[in-house]
Amino acid sequence: MDRLGSVGLIAALGFAIYGMVAGAVAGKLRSARILKSAERAALGFLGLITMAVFALEYLILTNNFHIAYVAEHSNRSLPVYYKIPVLWSGQEGSLLFWTWLLSIYIGAIVLLNRKKHRQLMPYVISICLGVGTFFSLITLLVANPFLVLSLTGAHGLAPYTPVDGGGLNPALQYPSMVIHPPMLYLGYVGMVVPFAFAMSALITKQPGDNWIRVTRRWAMVPWMFLGFGIILGGNWAYFVLGWGGYWGWDPVENASLLPWLAGTAFLHSVMIQEKRGMLKVWNIVLVIGMFFLSIFGTFLTRSGVVSSVHAFAQSNIGPFFAVFLGVIVLFSLTVLFLRLDFLKSDNRLDSVLSRESGFLFNNWILLSAVFAVLWGTIFPILSKAVEHVTVTVGPPFFNRVMVPMGLLLLFLTGAGPLLAWRKTSWDSLKRNFAIPMGIAAVTGIILYAAGVRYFYSWMALFLCAFVASSVIGEFYKGALTRMKFAGENFLQAIYNLTMRNTRRYGGYVVHLGIVMLFVGFAGLAFKKQATALMQPGDLMHIKDYLIRCETLKSGDTPNYVYETADLSVVKDGHALGILRPQKRFYKASQQPISHVAVHSTLSEDLYVVLEGRDQATGKAIIQAFVNPLVTWVWLGGSVVFLGSLLALIPSRVERAMDEIRKPKQEVAEKEHAG
Amino acid sequence: MLLGIAILITAGLAFLVVMPLLAAEGGSERALPIDVTPQADLKRRRAVIYENIQDLDFEHKAGKISGEDYQAMRQHYLSEAAQLMLASEESEAMNDRDAYIEREVAACRARSRPPQESYVCPKCGYENAVPVKFCGECGARIAGKK
Repeated sequence: MDRLGSVGLIAALGFAIYGMVAGAVAGKLRSARILKSAERAALGFLGLITMAVFALEYLILTNNFHIAYVAEHSNRSLPVYYKIPVLWSGQEGSLLFWTWLLSIYIGAIVLLNRKKHRQLMPYVISICLGVGTFFSLITLLVANPFLVLSLTGAHGLAPYTPVDGGGLNPALQYPSMVIHPPMLYLGYVGMVVPFAFAMSALITKQPGDNWIRVTRRWAMVPWMFLGFGIILGGNWAYFVLGWGGYWGWDPVENASLLPWLAGTAFLHSVMIQEKRGMLKVWNIVLVIGMFFLSIFGTFLTRSGVVSSVHAFAQSNIGPFFAVFLGVIVLFSLTVLFLRLDFLKSDNRLDSVLSRESGFLFNNWILLSAVFAVLWGTIFPILSKAVEHVTVTVGPPFFNRVMVPMGLLLLFLTGAGPLLAWRKTSWDSLKRNFAIPMGIAAVTGIILYAAGVRYFYSWMALFLCAFVASSVIGEFYKGALTRMKFAGENFLQAIYNLTMRNTRRYGGYVVHLGIVMLFVGFAGLAFKKQATALMQPGDLMHIKDYLIRCETLKSGDTPNYVYETADLSVVKDGHALGILRPQKRFYKASQQPISHVAVHSTLSEDLYVVLEGRDQATGKAIIQAFVNPLVTWVWLGGSVVFLGSLLALIPSRVERAMDEIRKPKQEVAEKEHAG
Repeated sequence: MLLGIAILITAGLAFLVVMPLLAAEGGSERALPIDVTPQADLKRRRAVIYENIQDLDFEHKAGKISGEDYQAMRQHYLSEAAQLMLASEESEAMNDRDAYIEREVAACRARSRPPQESYVCPKCGYENAVPVKFCGECGARIAGKK
């Protein structure tokens, strides 16, 4: 089976190289035959990488420990549902997984555009398969997951099969870890698609705005997955790492945030290009930035240049990625400079008080955030290069810089929809801001009266009230207008309003999700923490919770041994039930890990961790946290995902635009068939 | 066994990839169709402006934009739409002019031809398009052509 995988990888590399060249030739010669051949090579690439992935999964599921990757990352007693994610739990497997997701994206592009974008497709395929070539090359030559274990004996190298494997990293044996990496990778990998469409449009000098609409739609997909992946990563960190938080400004976390921030900037500024034909160069720079940062993030986390809690082994893939990043910059900037005349703006900014300038301001802050996070993340590398001392920049730096930026962005999230395109007079401004600002002011007073004195938290909640009322007001006013002029009932009006412009109203739903996220972030300032040594019968107080240790149990499973503390929880005289934090020791990997127990409500989480046993007293070390408003982070992340899905549904307006784009003969064919 | 299957799959896929290159060139398969014609582009740009106007009308009805702002912006959009309509008309007129030039060239060629009568079949009266010895319709010898 390992040979099947190896042949799949080698052949996939061949198909990728061929498709990359054939795509470029098809574009140059405008040949439909060569394009067809390139498209088939792209689908062949998908088929062959899929074959390699299935081969590796088979080897993992059937405990083939003669394969080094399987021996290192799996073991016999690992449950089947944790054997599947072994594929992406190590360097080699995850690179193959990356390549596979890329091949799925390429296959989807080819199949969805069989009759569309015929001028764009040759170079789109060429660029995507160029990236595919790089990833299959390093998977094959530098990080091959199909290498066979061997021992040096008296007669040279001899095959070796260990009795059992080293096991999966315990931190990865958690349900959200099964879905978090695929989501995150779908985000990282997918950034190549908008990049390919944008570059192809520049190379072929596509007229009109059709290409930027396609680029935007394809940018939405990875942006949505990346955002959801980041939230799932936070969820994993919260429930597995046991430090009571979900975001620690770790380099790996930052690496995923960078392309997401650039993508957020692009999804806003692209609207100005679509509506007003402005910011064309800026948008291309953002598309290049999104793709560059997604590869840069992959390089950062896999090359070992920065240390992280995320356990990817340091490896020798760093130089390959550095060269690839250089190629991306060189290629994209060359294309950009050669086509600068093609990207002239159609219009100028009419007024500072307009939706356009709101988006511009949003872009500046987002870009500043990208640079701040980037600076903090690569500072250890820079300090080592300059001062020969590794200086790590910790959460205080990020919080000091990012919190004000986040609050400014939150304000713009609510202010943007209240500004009109082109120009907003003071009269309109006062009219639109009055109610949301009024609601925010009342909320602010109530919060102050309720004892919320920490400035950033108070400000975040004040702005959340402003944004929520602004966004809900948009739905409400829109629905009332439809009820009045189209005679619809409220629900019909909301539905039709949303479906007429799914991008705008899906975007508003995303904004509501962002509000919920900030409500969650605001709670961080009110976190409480306590630690106690406990044995059955002991009590512990934290905030208004009373925790009593009922029993301490230990047990054994094929995969791990464990110790559990049964803690009964009482709040204000009401019993909340039993929490069972667990400390596990995984046999195969010989690593301990804590499984936290959480009692969640919308207002706060009681979060308890069994840290282990105190050596001197033999008592259990129990750490408890009261984390206010954390549930809002998970809810907000889900709402952002759902809003993004809504925005991806083509609206009536977009479908009408597509009809205009279609070549005459295709429309005629369709009409004839119909 | 598995290795053989893998090689067979690869060979099959390679054949499918090469097949389009072996197909005879011709017909509509020869060149890639244009994604957006200049006329369609102008139409799309007009559609964007109409969409902007509809949005503006809706926001005005919803009470988000003052009457003064509304009138000024609507006027802007309408003049942009008018410019694009003009560009569309010019583009179509250009097409008409092309057609006119084509007609003129055809007429000029026709004038430079030998007298028309020599192509008309004396037997069936069919008007042959080019000088011929025999009628393309009935096969009779055409007078004057030896």
